[in-house]
Amino acid sequence: MRRKGLRKTLYHIVLWLVAIAFFLPVFWIILGALKTKDQLLAIPPKWLFVPGLANFVDLFARPNITTYLINSVIISLLAVAIAIVVSFLAAYCFSRYQPKATNLIMFLLLSIRMVPSAATVVAVYLMYVAFGWKDTWPGMILFYAMFSIPFSVWILKGFIDGVSTRFDEAGLVNGGSCLHVMFKVVLPQVKPGLVAAFIFNMIFVWNEFLFNYLIGGRRTTMVPVALSTWMYAQAGVDWTFVAALTTVYMIPLILAVFFFQKYLLIGMTFGTVRGEV
Amino acid sequence: MAADTTEVKYMARRPAWHTRLLRSFEASGLFSTTLLVPVLIFFIVWNIVPLLWMLGLSFYNYSMITGVPEKFIGFGNYLDIYNNFSAWNAFGRTFKWVFVTVGVETVLGVLLGLLFWGSSDLPGRRVALTMIFTPMILAPASTGTFFRLIYDPTFGVINYFVHSIFGMNIDFLGDRAWAFGAVVLVDIWMWTPFMVLITMAALGAVPRAELEAAEVDRLPWYKRFWYVILPRGKFILMLGILLRTIDSFKVMDLIYIMTKGGPGNMTETIAISLWRKAFEGFTMGWSSALAVILLLIAIAFTSVYLYVLNLRKRGEA
Repeated sequence: MRRKGLRKTLYHIVLWLVAIAFFLPVFWIILGALKTKDQLLAIPPKWLFVPGLANFVDLFARPNITTYLINSVIISLLAVAIAIVVSFLAAYCFSRYQPKATNLIMFLLLSIRMVPSAATVVAVYLMYVAFGWKDTWPGMILFYAMFSIPFSVWILKGFIDGVSTRFDEAGLVNGGSCLHVMFKVVLPQVKPGLVAAFIFNMIFVWNEFLFNYLIGGRRTTMVPVALSTWMYAQAGVDWTFVAALTTVYMIPLILAVFFFQKYLLIGMTFGTVRGEV
Repeated sequence: MAADTTEVKYMARRPAWHTRLLRSFEASGLFSTTLLVPVLIFFIVWNIVPLLWMLGLSFYNYSMITGVPEKFIGFGNYLDIYNNFSAWNAFGRTFKWVFVTVGVETVLGVLLGLLFWGSSDLPGRRVALTMIFTPMILAPASTGTFFRLIYDPTFGVINYFVHSIFGMNIDFLGDRAWAFGAVVLVDIWMWTPFMVLITMAALGAVPRAELEAAEVDRLPWYKRFWYVILPRGKFILMLGILLRTIDSFKVMDLIYIMTKGGPGNMTETIAISLWRKAFEGFTMGWSSALAVILLLIAIAFTSVYLYVLNLRKRGEA
C-alpha cells in the first residue's frame, strides 16, 4: 500500500515537471517583464532580483496602447462570434439536410485553409485596396471571420452529427418549428463544440500578424503588429518592452484556457464523445 | 376548468400569418439553402474572388514598384518557377519542415498525452494543464521575438548554459548548422501541447469497458495502445495531425521573425520565400503563380488525406 502511494507521488511529480518544462520559457518572459534592461541582459542570468513594474508603466505610457488592446479585443471577439453563428447555420445544414455539395464545400473550406497566408495575402491585399476596404473595421472583422469559419464548421458538424436526430423529431412532433429545434434543442447540446471552436479561433485571430499588418492600418492595428513596430529602441530590440507586452497580451487567453479547459478537451473530440474527457 | 378550455381554444386556433409564413418557408426546400447562404457569401467574397484575382495575376508580369505596365506573359511565371532552383529548394525545405515538426510533435504529444491520462487526481491538474497549453496561445510574433533573445549568442540564457558546459558560444539562429534545428525546436515547443490536447481527447473516446477488459487480460501497454486505444481514437488523432500539418505547412510569422529565412536561406520555407518575393521584391505576378501552385498542392494533399480518412472511417463501420 505504501509503495503504491510512493509510486503515485512520483508519477505526480513527473507530471508537474513536464508542465513546468513547457512553461519555463513563458516563465522566463514573465520574469523578463519584471526586470530592468540590465538585469534581463545580465550574464549569468539573474534568477533572484527585486521585481519592478516599471516596464508595465512604460508600456501603458505609450501612445495608443489602450486603443490597440481594445482593437484586439473587439476585432477578435466580433470576428469569432460572427464566424461561430455562420458556421453553426452551415454545420446544421450539412448535418441535417445533407445537400449534395456538402462534401465538396467541407473539403474546399479545409484545403483553402491550408494555403499559406502569404499566398492569399497578395490577392486579398489587392482586392482590399481596389474596393477601399483596407484599414476599415468591417473589412478586418469579416476577413477574420472567414479566417475562423473552416475550423468552426468542421468542429461543429462533428458535434451536430453526434446529436441524435430523434431530438429533432421529438421537437418537431411536439409542435416546435425548425428554428426552434435548431436553436433550442440542438444548440444547447453542442455547447462544448461552440466553446472549443470559439477559443481555438480566438487563439488564431488574437495572435494573427500578417493580415493585420497588410490589410489593416492605423485605425485597425492589433497588438502583435504594434509589437513588431515598437520593439526597436535606439540600441536594437527593446526586450523588456517585448516581455511586458507579451505578458499582458497572454493573460486573457490563459484565463480562457484555465476556465474552459473541460470544453477544450471535449471540443477536440469533434463530437465523437459524450460526457467527460 | 375554464382555463383549460380557453387553452384548448387557443391551441386549436389558426396560427398567425407570420407563423404560417415561417412554417411554409421551413417546409419548403428553401430553408436548408438559406442556412448556407452566409457561409457561401463569405466563401465567395473572401476566397473565390481573391483566388480568381490571384489566378489572373499569375499570367501577368506585374511588379508593384517598377511602374512597367503589366504584360500578359501566359505561363511565363510558371516556367520561371519551374526553372528556379531556389524555389525547388524552398519546397524541399518546407516538406522537411512539415515532416520533422509534425512528426516529433505527434510522437511527443501522444506520449505526453498518454502520460497525462491517469492524471485525474493530480493536485492542481487544471493549473498544470493550463501551463502545458500556454505555449500555443502565445502570439508567434512575440514568441519569435523573445526566442531571439533566448538564443542570443552573448545575452541568451541558453548560451549561458552552453558556455558553462562546453566553453563556447553558439549563434543558434545565425549559424547555418543550427538555425533550422533551432527554429524547429521552437515550433515543437509551441505545438506539442496541441497534440497533447488531441491525444487526451482521443483517449476520452475509448470506452471504459474495453479498457477494463484490457486490464483484466493484462495486456502490455503497447498492445493496449495498438488494439484498444488506437482503433477508437484514430479518427480524432488523424484530424489533429491533419490540422497540425496544415498549420505547419503555412507557418510564416514565427520563422520570419526569428530568422527572416536566413542564414543564407537555411530556414526559407515556401511561405517565407513567397513573402520575400511579394513584399520585398514586389513581383506580384510571379508570387501569384507560386501561390496558385501552393493552392494546388494544398488541394491535392487534403483530398488524398480525406480520402484515406474516409476509407478508415468506413472500415470501422
